[in-house]
Amino acid sequence: MSTKKSQSAGSARAYRLDLKLLNRIERLSETQFVYVMLLPVFALLGTMAIWPLLYTANISLHADNIASADPVGAFVGLENYVRILTGEANLRRPFLDLNTPFTSALPVTLMFTAVAVVAETLLGFAMALILDQEFRGRRWVRVGMILPWTVPIVIQGMIFYLLFQPSLGFLVGPLQNLGLLSGSPLANSQDSLLIVILGDIWKQSAFMALLILAGLQSIDRSLYDVAEMSGASRLQQFRTITFPLVLPTLLVALLFRTIAALKVYGLVETVSSCNTVPTLSCLVISTWNANRYGSAAAIAFVIATIIALLLLFYLQQFRKQEHGGI
Amino acid sequence: MPQSRDNSGAATSSHSDSINRRRFVQAVGATGVTVGLAGCSGGGSSSGSTTGEGGEGGGAGGASKLQLTTHSEWRKNSEAIKQALYDAGLSEDIQLEFISAGSTTDEMQNQYSQWLSAEQARPDLMIFDSGWTIPFIVRGQLLNLEDALPSDLLDTVHNDYFQQSVGSATGPDGDLFGVPLYPDFPTIQYRKDLVQDAGYDWEQYRTEAMSWKQFASELQDVYEQSDADYGFNWQAASEIQLSCCVFNEFLSSWGGAFFGNPEENLYGPVGDRPVTVNEQPVKDSLRMARSFVHGADADGTLDGFAGGITSTEAGQWGLSPSMRPFTNGNAVALRNWPYSININGAEDALGEDMGVMPIPYGVPEGEGQYPGTGGSVGALGGWNFAVNPNSQQVDAAVEFLQAISTESFQLANFKTVGHIPPVPSTLKQASDVPIMSRYLEPLTYAGEHTMARPATPVWPQQGEAVAQEAHAAIMAKKPVGEAMSSLQSRLKSFEESYSG
Repeated sequence: MSTKKSQSAGSARAYRLDLKLLNRIERLSETQFVYVMLLPVFALLGTMAIWPLLYTANISLHADNIASADPVGAFVGLENYVRILTGEANLRRPFLDLNTPFTSALPVTLMFTAVAVVAETLLGFAMALILDQEFRGRRWVRVGMILPWTVPIVIQGMIFYLLFQPSLGFLVGPLQNLGLLSGSPLANSQDSLLIVILGDIWKQSAFMALLILAGLQSIDRSLYDVAEMSGASRLQQFRTITFPLVLPTLLVALLFRTIAALKVYGLVETVSSCNTVPTLSCLVISTWNANRYGSAAAIAFVIATIIALLLLFYLQQFRKQEHGGI
Repeated sequence: MPQSRDNSGAATSSHSDSINRRRFVQAVGATGVTVGLAGCSGGGSSSGSTTGEGGEGGGAGGASKLQLTTHSEWRKNSEAIKQALYDAGLSEDIQLEFISAGSTTDEMQNQYSQWLSAEQARPDLMIFDSGWTIPFIVRGQLLNLEDALPSDLLDTVHNDYFQQSVGSATGPDGDLFGVPLYPDFPTIQYRKDLVQDAGYDWEQYRTEAMSWKQFASELQDVYEQSDADYGFNWQAASEIQLSCCVFNEFLSSWGGAFFGNPEENLYGPVGDRPVTVNEQPVKDSLRMARSFVHGADADGTLDGFAGGITSTEAGQWGLSPSMRPFTNGNAVALRNWPYSININGAEDALGEDMGVMPIPYGVPEGEGQYPGTGGSVGALGGWNFAVNPNSQQVDAAVEFLQAISTESFQLANFKTVGHIPPVPSTLKQASDVPIMSRYLEPLTYAGEHTMARPATPVWPQQGEAVAQEAHAAIMAKKPVGEAMSSLQSRLKSFEESYSG
């Protein structure tokens, strides 16, 4: 009997607590309520994204310890960063050595990013302009143009590897005869960088085309009618209508591609090797695989900083757009 | 909803909102409880992963289940291998589960790092590349077998096995941490028919290596007389095959060494040993390699050496691309590991037209600058089985190691998947193994003339530097002297930065 009584008293207490909580939630302002509802998301983000970042940042402040089962050594502050940026760190390839730009990670990555992204943007824009036209068989042309984007990186890498294997690839002989390639192009840093860039353009131009096409199709067609009525040429229409209106989309596409290009790794490893085309990501992975976790984490944060700087540049362009720039 | 709030005033809005909030919170709470209960009742097992995670193994009736990483050839022939192990004395109460740790040696190394750092109990046994067993030993991540194995087995491994293989699984104080499963040593495979047609007999060199000078000269002649597109194929790509093996063979056969006397310094002390890659024998070996690729008249080649016998394509050749022309009968000779003997010696490839001989020498045996250098030198490859120190099945693992140490198992393994027996006397007896048995003499000779790579904890990064600089020198991207000076300072820098 007394047990029943205490049980009912307990459940009444719990009910009062529930009510108290619900009443408190009712009294929250709109903003407070939104934040309460977002708490699980913040918790998830904190656990899955922020904490690993902070943990890696912490590792980057510790020495390498390759001779122990615990690979994180003593706290050394910013020493890993200093050694990387001053060229004192023993890395697979130098981080920055302008005497050997084709075997130095930062110049190789920047060259790859600049050439590939510019070429992909131009080609993607041209492809999008074509795909935006009404013509017979447009659907099949769209499929054909987008097809390379669907190819997995490893397959893409193997395609270009085989294309430039001297005994197998049909491209090597003619290009060597023209003096454009060396006897073993995939072992030559300049040739390999060019081949990796070609591989990236082949695949990623379609991605740029897709995004730019979306921007093009959102342009109000009546603007072109008005322009034509006013006697504007095709070039003038492009300069005054198409380009300004597609620019926000273009900036988003450029942002995506630039970030991805700065992190290139898979294509390099499948087509050539990180010894031949040493990108920044190659440095991180080879250093990590050598059990030098502190140095690898520091390089990763240097890459993240470079990407963040570029991100800021793009954000500035967005802001200009919002304020009527360009 | 916002519309009605605006129209009906703050109080109403608050009331209307609070009902929704209350319902919302109640709904979320109810969903959470339901999902929680479902999760609890769903349970789920954490064991049984194919990658070896979780689970304590074991089985009905007191049987234990050993989980071990193996190569694909064992997994493809798992029934035959298991039967050979049981026939060799492994208790049938011990069940065996073969799993993969990756498809490349690098993948396996990285996977082991993760497993062992996490102190996982499984897999119980792991197969380690002889090129990177020692870093795991130095980090204290493998079981010391001196206390676990019976003394007669320890004696057998220490005394009867190929000593370089045992050295690759031995700690700094001489303790054994792994049992060699099979050693690997490269040889020169050649088109016997083309060589004979050109008037030479290389069969006489099956157990007595010829010099590089003679080899280059005769091969050039054979190459010119034949219709083959390729002469001597080997691997000069800037990757591990060059650093651990090809360049190691070249420089050792010329009497040079990476770190002075290999008998004292091969495995350390890191940071307290000389770096000797800038010495004459090493540079001579690279000049010889340059002669092979660029011809005798090119800059930086070795005087009096025949050249132009290796395609410039070698600069991007790993093992398979260099072998392909030879398998197709389109090359005179190939430097490769024993697995390729099985491929090229098959009837649908070159069959009995293929000959095998040891790697040639730069300076005669005993005339190298350091002990153990000079003469024919093949790089040591191969794999060792080591025990996970966190395993709950150490007794069963020891029984497994005893089984793989028996002669019957080693012969069965050689016959089934082509793994060379790790004991020279067992290798000599393997006369009934198809294809390979034709080449037992040169294989045994090669097994007794090997040089391991200096596989210390800093070797993964040093090896990359070696590959880059040797490749640059061979492919004439840098003068030999400049490349070796650069390598000397890079290796020193790695040595000095080590704080083991």
